Amino acid sequence: MAVAETGLDRLAVEGPVGSTAVSVRNVNMVFGDYRAVDDASFDLQEGKFLTILGPSGSGKTTLLRMIAGFQAPTSGEIAINGIPVGHVPPNKRSIGMVFQKLALFPHMTAAQNVAFPLKMRRFDARTIPARVAKYLDLVKLGGFANRRIHELSGGQQQRIAIARALVFEPDLLLLDEPLAALDRKLREEMQLEFRRIQRELGVTTINVTHDQREALVVSDEIIVMDKGRIQQNAKPSATYRQPSNSFVAGFIGVTNFLSGSVTDVTDSEVAFIAGTQPLCGRWVATDVRPSAGQSVKGAVRAEQIRVAATPDRLDDLQTTVAGSVMDVIFEGERVVYEVRLASLQDATIRVFDHDPSQHAEFEAGARVFVGWNARDVLVFAE
Amino acid sequence: MRAYPLTWRLLDVLETGLEKVFPRRLAGITPYLMLAPAVLLVGLLVLGLFQVADGSLRTLDTTTFLMSESYSLDNFRRALSEPLFRNVAVKSFAGSLIVTAMTLVLALPYAYVMVRTKSAALRKILLIALFLPFFIGQVVRAYGWLIILGNQGLVNEALSFLGIGPFRLIYNYPAVLFGLIQYMLPFAVLMLAPAVTAIPEETEAAAESLGANWIQTFIHVVLPMARPGFVGAGLVVMTLSLTDFAIPAILGGGSQDFIANAIYDQFFRTSDQGLGATLALLLVAAGSTLVAIVFALVGTGTLQMGRAKQ
Repeated sequence: MAVAETGLDRLAVEGPVGSTAVSVRNVNMVFGDYRAVDDASFDLQEGKFLTILGPSGSGKTTLLRMIAGFQAPTSGEIAINGIPVGHVPPNKRSIGMVFQKLALFPHMTAAQNVAFPLKMRRFDARTIPARVAKYLDLVKLGGFANRRIHELSGGQQQRIAIARALVFEPDLLLLDEPLAALDRKLREEMQLEFRRIQRELGVTTINVTHDQREALVVSDEIIVMDKGRIQQNAKPSATYRQPSNSFVAGFIGVTNFLSGSVTDVTDSEVAFIAGTQPLCGRWVATDVRPSAGQSVKGAVRAEQIRVAATPDRLDDLQTTVAGSVMDVIFEGERVVYEVRLASLQDATIRVFDHDPSQHAEFEAGARVFVGWNARDVLVFAE
Repeated sequence: MRAYPLTWRLLDVLETGLEKVFPRRLAGITPYLMLAPAVLLVGLLVLGLFQVADGSLRTLDTTTFLMSESYSLDNFRRALSEPLFRNVAVKSFAGSLIVTAMTLVLALPYAYVMVRTKSAALRKILLIALFLPFFIGQVVRAYGWLIILGNQGLVNEALSFLGIGPFRLIYNYPAVLFGLIQYMLPFAVLMLAPAVTAIPEETEAAAESLGANWIQTFIHVVLPMARPGFVGAGLVVMTLSLTDFAIPAILGGGSQDFIANAIYDQFFRTSDQGLGATLALLLVAAGSTLVAIVFALVGTGTLQMGRAKQ
């Protein structure tokens, strides 16, 4: 598929940066007639932090479990450090994994949990205590060695799970949505903690999540998955700014879609008409060109739209449309307006106002104008 | 007025009626009222125990076949010193220990497969096989084993085709233990299954990813985490087999008496109620001590009774 190829081309162009830690080639996972993972391919450089992002049922966890060795792919090949691991069981792979429910051993102390992989992997018994202490320090739980698991807080349990997964210095760290159950504040704290530890140790990491914010915050690279297929493989900023298709555009950030049909195509821009409103935007796909009359949708992010009482205050923007405020949502650092646009067949769009001079400048029912630049509208085939 | 669902209105009526019969301010004693039948039942048993204790202190006058009017500790002296009773006690205790160990060893894989299998059909078969013996009484099952293991039984018939045997497979100690294990297995599986269910599969996957093979996972993760089930199942199997009557009687053929058989003999064969009562008391004491020791060693908390830790 075009997107996956683009991802591989990018690596080929950049040349050998580090050695390839994980290589996934045309991997499929089929359950009966359900294709959980559909022809997934990607390479991950050593020391990088990759997040596989997708809604539930997108195949991201299945892909991770195949890399961990808990499931064998129906077809395709997975290689770790250049060695195919097709029939290597999980306990013979050098992979540390932090599970969704942590899966700590409740009958052991924190230190015994961390020592477990060292004992199972037959590390020199004399070095084990020092190593356990080192990794407990790394996760800032030096003084908690003899605590039972149920005597630790949620955040502390997370840290023990990380220490346990890293203490045997695996080639690869896998994170299976371990933060999903935490409250927001703790989750954001742990995201930064994962990032710090990953940078400190330089361990290649694959994280699976449905939390787009987490993906943007922690990752070097993001793979977006939907319906078993890899939709995009890119750096976080590119995933956000240059989504390769409308799914990625809609999944990350708050995106308004404006449906219309193409009227004119120039080199860099596509003109299309939505309802009675002529609009302009950038065509994203490189492999096909739009043709006149084709159904398309333009994607424009809520933060790239501005709202004003009169059109002259939006003079610097290429497109201005009249609308009426349907709803005002105060979110603290920003105000979200839902604006109905009559000329776009009453389409409702969402607009962020990050600098409200007061609680909110407009109230529900107010007549307003919204505006944006053509370069901020990404046009995808319908 | 809004029409509430019929069930709501019915409950309202019931509640109003209840309020008249049993005013709300008495609600504080409701839990004790609900506990009352159980307490009454146990209380009756305790009363019976006093009766037994009384009997145990009276000796049988062999000339009149009447119990003595005066109290003495003669029965206890006899029960603790006569080789016959020592033999029976050793057989029962050793037997119940062996039966408990063997049953737990056999029950764990059964419970584990039953809980963990991905095949719904296999789980159903295992469950049916587990409950089927409960529909067949213990005595019938013991006689079934006689038919299978007897001198002209199925096994010896089959062996004779191979030109070997017949072997004496019943009326000996191993036969009694075999029968008891077969009888106890469903109880043990039923008590172990919830303990295995309580172990998250993810925990086993974690052990595997941390480098443990399946044997190590079993020893270091599954066994310790299933401990509450082991304690519960072990206690049930131990006490049930220590006090069993039918299996030693039928598969032992009178030669392999357990304590319960000895008690029966005293009550109904030699009609020495005093000695029977003494043996019964000693059995109750021994069983209770055993349970107390187990609780002292592992704590009742491991049975997952009492308030769960968060």
